[in-house]
Amino acid sequence: MSPLRRHALIVLSWILLGAAALAVRHDLVVTSDLRSFMPPARDADHQLVLDEIGNGPAAQLLLLAIDGAPPAELARLSAGLAAALATDARFARVLNGGDDSTAIDPNLLPYRYLLSPTLDTTRFDAAFLGAELKQREEDLAAPGVEAITDLIPRDPTLEVLKLAQRWQPAHPPARREGVWFSARGQALLLVQTRAAGFDPAAQAEAVEALRRHFAGLPEAGAARLTISGPGYFAVEVANTTRTEAERLSAIGILGFALLLLLAYRSPGVLAVVALPLAAGALGGLAAIVFAFGGVHGITLAFGFTLLGVAQEYPLRLFSHRRAGVTVAASTATVWPLLQLAIVSACIAYLALVASGVAGLQQLAVFTISGLLIAGAVTRWFLPVVVAPVFVDVTSSSWLERWRGVLARMPRPRWLPWLVLAGAAGAVWFAPAPVWQNDLAELAPVPAPQLQREGELRAALGAPDVRHLLVLQADSADGVLALSEKIAPEAEQWVSGGIVDDIELPSRYLPSLATQRARQEKLPDRAALNAALDAALADRDFQPGLFTPFVDDVEAARSLPLLTADGFVHSPFGARLQALLVQRGTRWYGLAAVSGVHDAQALVQRVRTAPLGGVRLLDLKAASEALVADYRERILLALGAALVLLAATVAIFFRDLHRAWRVVAPMSLATLAVLAVLRLCGVSLSLFHLVALTLAAGLGLHYALFFERPLADAAEARRTLHATLVCVASAVLVFGLLATSTLPVLRAIGVTVALGVAFHFCLSTQMAQRSRHAD
Amino acid sequence: MHLLREPLVLHGELEYGGHDRLGKRVEAPFREITTIGNGVVRVEREGRAAREISLDRVPALAALLGGFSALLGGDAATLASRYVLDVKLGADTWTLTLRPRDAELARHLREIVVDGRDREPACFALEETSGDASVLLLGELAAVPLAHPTRAQLTVLCRRVGS
Repeated sequence: MSPLRRHALIVLSWILLGAAALAVRHDLVVTSDLRSFMPPARDADHQLVLDEIGNGPAAQLLLLAIDGAPPAELARLSAGLAAALATDARFARVLNGGDDSTAIDPNLLPYRYLLSPTLDTTRFDAAFLGAELKQREEDLAAPGVEAITDLIPRDPTLEVLKLAQRWQPAHPPARREGVWFSARGQALLLVQTRAAGFDPAAQAEAVEALRRHFAGLPEAGAARLTISGPGYFAVEVANTTRTEAERLSAIGILGFALLLLLAYRSPGVLAVVALPLAAGALGGLAAIVFAFGGVHGITLAFGFTLLGVAQEYPLRLFSHRRAGVTVAASTATVWPLLQLAIVSACIAYLALVASGVAGLQQLAVFTISGLLIAGAVTRWFLPVVVAPVFVDVTSSSWLERWRGVLARMPRPRWLPWLVLAGAAGAVWFAPAPVWQNDLAELAPVPAPQLQREGELRAALGAPDVRHLLVLQADSADGVLALSEKIAPEAEQWVSGGIVDDIELPSRYLPSLATQRARQEKLPDRAALNAALDAALADRDFQPGLFTPFVDDVEAARSLPLLTADGFVHSPFGARLQALLVQRGTRWYGLAAVSGVHDAQALVQRVRTAPLGGVRLLDLKAASEALVADYRERILLALGAALVLLAATVAIFFRDLHRAWRVVAPMSLATLAVLAVLRLCGVSLSLFHLVALTLAAGLGLHYALFFERPLADAAEARRTLHATLVCVASAVLVFGLLATSTLPVLRAIGVTVALGVAFHFCLSTQMAQRSRHAD
Repeated sequence: MHLLREPLVLHGELEYGGHDRLGKRVEAPFREITTIGNGVVRVEREGRAAREISLDRVPALAALLGGFSALLGGDAATLASRYVLDVKLGADTWTLTLRPRDAELARHLREIVVDGRDREPACFALEETSGDASVLLLGELAAVPLAHPTRAQLTVLCRRVGS
């Protein structure tokens, strides 16, 4: 094929890949919904835990602070932002401490008498109404009462304000200028997003909208908006990790390109070296779209890591080109072994499919299709577009010297056993905890932001993201009734200083029985008019002023009781929706807990509470248990994968001894990496396990190629050249990741870089043949 | 909205503390102390937590304070620039009526009527556009016991101070 046609074909293939990338990108849904990553739920209870991790009533709250302007200005900004957000469908609720007489839907106004606890302790008789009306008169003499004057005729006891008060956070910040202010002089707001807390894409949109609304305020000027909260952190951490990974990868790719130029002395290889990997990654993504539709972000990160093995395929092909032989012919000589590596890896990953965990199955589908496509592109496409060489790049004298050194190196039979004993001892006895189950620790929120978050959360009295009081019953009303029963207990926990507040669902909507009891206490029109007349005797209100009040009470007497469905449309409906959920046939109340001062005591008190169906959910512990469960399955699957791999190699070789020489160094090197990590006090996470698997996949190549019976020293040089390029590039790219300050990138980088080094050393020791040397 | 049949009658005193500082103490029918100063209104009422509001948020009150400063500080020019003034003189009594020029203030406040004798103000009435009114009885009148006076009775009382 002419060079021109080759170049055209290369350009065309990249264009096709680009087009395919756009198509896949359009269809692929990347979520961070833990449900698509974790093992499937066993029952409704387990389902609830899965759902609430990262999506509890606290996770949807964003905490806002505005500062950098005089207080009056900040108050106007707070009010302006609250008004702007109230019109934005992305936000379910905005609280800024401002006077809120619209706590309930105007259509639901008569329901205030069923929702407010006033009637639990009193009746609408002359004495009660008289005392209330006297206070209203006093209110009228105070400045700045325009807000309530309009309310008085319809709602002289101000039930709407009592409800608004009841639905504010239990320990709201101090109010200045009519809105919440922190002790440090920032205006504070609490915003509930409609998007789930775990959904970074939707959260990013919400954060973006927040910033836009703020910048659009006429007085924004020099004032500064600070955002905090779980959803915001998810966005921030994802951004930081992506930026850091991209930066290190860019340097890595540059270094890799220089390495290739040095190794092959031809810029042409740069144009095609990434083709197999790119095609494999796209193929893998397409397979995921086809088979699952969506994929969890972590699964994707794992998949791209594992697919890194495929970068070796073209390198093997380049190093084995020979002068005077077509690329197709030289490729054919290494293909059987490459094919074995690909097929055995694919068979090994089949073990993940059997795990029954959606995340692992997606990982397997992605990796297997990616490896097969990368292999196919290397075998059948690269030989067409890669230029043949006229001088062997592997004929240099230093390579021959290296080959000689390696071939003559002593290979004491006891060395592997010594490594095995040492590594096993280190893994067993190292003091650090073996596992790191907290996924958040891998991508931690920077300390200053976390501190700010703590301050804002305390100032706003916003709920804790970790603890949740779970109430369980057969129906929504059953949950509300249970919630009312536990309320006096919860008040004791609050007054006992164990927690600052427990936001029970019955705070928003009383049970049907309670509503009925309040309804029955409402006086009829005649009785109310009589009481009102008596109460008004000493007052100066206009005659007939309170007709709307009398009408509302009369209406409330015959209202159908308010259910959760009916309440949804009121301004606090979204809050109740977050606190009252159905899973399967069960209903759950999720009471948000704020300001936990003594978690131990809380656990104890909830356990000994004299009511069934109530328990405390520690979301952090629950998520760690899930991760541990997930890891168990990964470990099991990887163990099965290793067995499958060994069996495949043995069947292919029809020689147990040869299979042993391939599988043994690979397994031993993996153990050695584990030993070093453990000795350095590293607790292992899922990312370490995946990185170990990638390193093992690379190690399989080294061992397979070193073990291969070779015809001559030239072929041995080519094998060594290919392996050295592979090792150097992997150490370069992953060594760079290892320098990252982000634990997740460092985990992958350190593990793979170390692994590659160990696999190389042990392969030369245990797999390499030295018979043909010299 | 017109809520009250008759003006709200308060007994107490006003205290002018120089430019932009004003105190109002209500002794009956409830006890309340309102202080305006440094751009903040502070309301302390017996049995309730103190409330603080920025003067910016109550523009009507800010305009009122401006008028007061001018009135009690004897700054006729400023007073005239903010209110349409009308003075009625009796033998030794006087009635000063101030109609706000500021549109925002005029939306809620129809007029302020101050009745007095010699150099002492006796009644300070805020007439709202809604028809509601509150009258603060000052000085000697603060001690006069009243059971639901009508507006007419109040007017008579205020214009006959001390006689």
